Amino acid sequence: MPNRRARVLLAKTGLDGHWRGLSVVAHALRDAGFEVVLAGMARPDEIVAAVEQEDVDLVGLNVGGRIEVVERIIESLRATAPAMPIFAGGTLPPAAIRRLRELGVDGFPPGSSLASIVEAARRLTAAAVED
Amino acid sequence: MSVDEPDERTTSSGIPLKPVYGAEDVAGIDAAVIDGRPGVAPYLRGAYPGMYRTKPWRIFQLSGFGNPEDEGARIRFLLEHGETGFIMEHDRNIADHLYDLDHPDVVARREDVGQVGAVIFSARDYRTVLDGIAIESVYAHPGGGVVQHAPFTLACYWTEAGRRGIPLETLYGTNQADFFLTYVGCITKQQVPTQAGLRLNADTIEFCLEHLPHWVPVSIAGYNGADTGLNAWQELGAVMANAVEYIDAVVKRGRHTAAEVAPGVAGVNFRTSMDFFEDIAKLRASRKMWSELLRRRYRVTDPKAQRLRIHSLTAGSAMTYQQPLNNVVRGTLMALAGVLGGTQSLGVSGYDEAISVPSEHAHQMSLRIQQILQSESRLTDVADPLGGSYFIESLTAEVETRAWEFFEQIQSRGGFIACLDSGWMHARASENQIKLFDEIESGARSVVGVNTAKGDAGTFEVEGFRGTSDAWERGMERLTALRRNRDASRARETTQALRAACAGSTNVMPAMMDAVAADVTVGEIGDVFRAVFGDWKVPIEF
Repeated sequence: MPNRRARVLLAKTGLDGHWRGLSVVAHALRDAGFEVVLAGMARPDEIVAAVEQEDVDLVGLNVGGRIEVVERIIESLRATAPAMPIFAGGTLPPAAIRRLRELGVDGFPPGSSLASIVEAARRLTAAAVED
Repeated sequence: MSVDEPDERTTSSGIPLKPVYGAEDVAGIDAAVIDGRPGVAPYLRGAYPGMYRTKPWRIFQLSGFGNPEDEGARIRFLLEHGETGFIMEHDRNIADHLYDLDHPDVVARREDVGQVGAVIFSARDYRTVLDGIAIESVYAHPGGGVVQHAPFTLACYWTEAGRRGIPLETLYGTNQADFFLTYVGCITKQQVPTQAGLRLNADTIEFCLEHLPHWVPVSIAGYNGADTGLNAWQELGAVMANAVEYIDAVVKRGRHTAAEVAPGVAGVNFRTSMDFFEDIAKLRASRKMWSELLRRRYRVTDPKAQRLRIHSLTAGSAMTYQQPLNNVVRGTLMALAGVLGGTQSLGVSGYDEAISVPSEHAHQMSLRIQQILQSESRLTDVADPLGGSYFIESLTAEVETRAWEFFEQIQSRGGFIACLDSGWMHARASENQIKLFDEIESGARSVVGVNTAKGDAGTFEVEGFRGTSDAWERGMERLTALRRNRDASRARETTQALRAACAGSTNVMPAMMDAVAADVTVGEIGDVFRAVFGDWKVPIEF
């Protein structure tokens, strides 16, 4: 049994405010016992600041735009919180999924099952909650 | 349950479905309505007497990406391949937020710029997009889906028409300025409050009544509520509740009657999705409801003022990432529901919808789907071909009953805008979203290629349309040049005049026209709005 509930920060990488997908994922994670912190349409610097302030165990990026923006966020996070696990979901074309994989980040395109997202969140936070 | 006993079923919105329908199911429905004729109030059977024999539906596709030149080229491509009106999609970063390209929030995401809409920030950009397009004879939706963006887009488009010597009173087109997009489905990081949005929409409605009689100044897009989660009768009831806000706001000003205002509000937008019959019923019921709303609430007797005109758009959310060619079939089915429901205008989502904005090929397929429906399959010969079906009439009546109940619930909570400000509408959408995803997760709802029939013998990879990669850089060059070579004092004076108009109670559109003619940018107009109107307090967290 985990010692505590894992905290997940969810942020939108773009300025596209479609919130349905993010909302459903947040609900599924809460249902599965995670604490979810919502950062909204945050810039890379705002995401880094939120990670520091909120003491989270995992960052989930909701992507509606280009992978280059996501890469910039990942770089910023790895510079300030190198051990922080990251996963991503949203409108991710196949090339973006491949690029994320190269960066060691799981990508969940539309149609991904909620169970697979929850499973990934458990796996990525397992070490942190059992410390 | 024996093998012969049918299982319990409902529509997507929860209306119980019998295995078969008969005369007893329509016995309680006004026979005169069912037996009515298209083009005659209450318009259950169609908006126009001859329907598609006399007025083919408009082939009306969303398009937009990259630089103004890219946007223009794609519009011309679509028009050359059979589109009969065009819709301009704008970059969300700058357009929806009224930010210039050097705003920190845009710079932080500069690679996103131009990906899901074109970068258009001045009347000069409009001139570039529209080069070679005969706007005097093509029906246009020049953008402005988001409420605070609409006055700018309209002013730019009309300014370009004026520059070409086209009298505004002959110009025709539409605009969305949609509350469902702005305040329900796609909530921007910053947006004018709902009451300011209502004021802007009332201003454009009045301006069009006085100067552009053929322009549809707002288009309530239930689509955006539905694709966020509202079910069929919630979408319908909420659209009617939204219309009431618009009509009341303009009538209250005392210069126009409800009968005068109604036609400008009566070009609405509904979603058709993967509940074929329920969506047909929804479209049919909507016309009857509109007619009754005008007659009962506003005492409008002119039958023409009671006519609802529909644009239907296939559900983007129904398009799957997996096995994307299957989406050609989904697009066809959803479009067919629009046609059988009597739509006046139709958009079909690209088969690559879940991956990117449409590639040229995906756009071409959307056109071909429409053309096969419109000219090859004999669908257009007879109006309302499902009218009189026991099932369709029964379902239409039930959707209408539930939609009126939802409308009344909204009224009892202070009206449509109050339900946006409080988050009540979002909560209704949200509970349905969760239910929908749970059903897909459990397999109770089948989505082919996603939770069933996942085998794929010959994978057809769609890499997604990437568009251009220089939209931010090239836009910055244009922005820098514009700031340098426009008449600075004229830009400053017209901006101040716009600010005075916004702060006062005069119509903002004349001042907006002056400002865009002076090359005031979308971000500068946003600064005026933010200073005068402030920000909407978003009632949900995401």
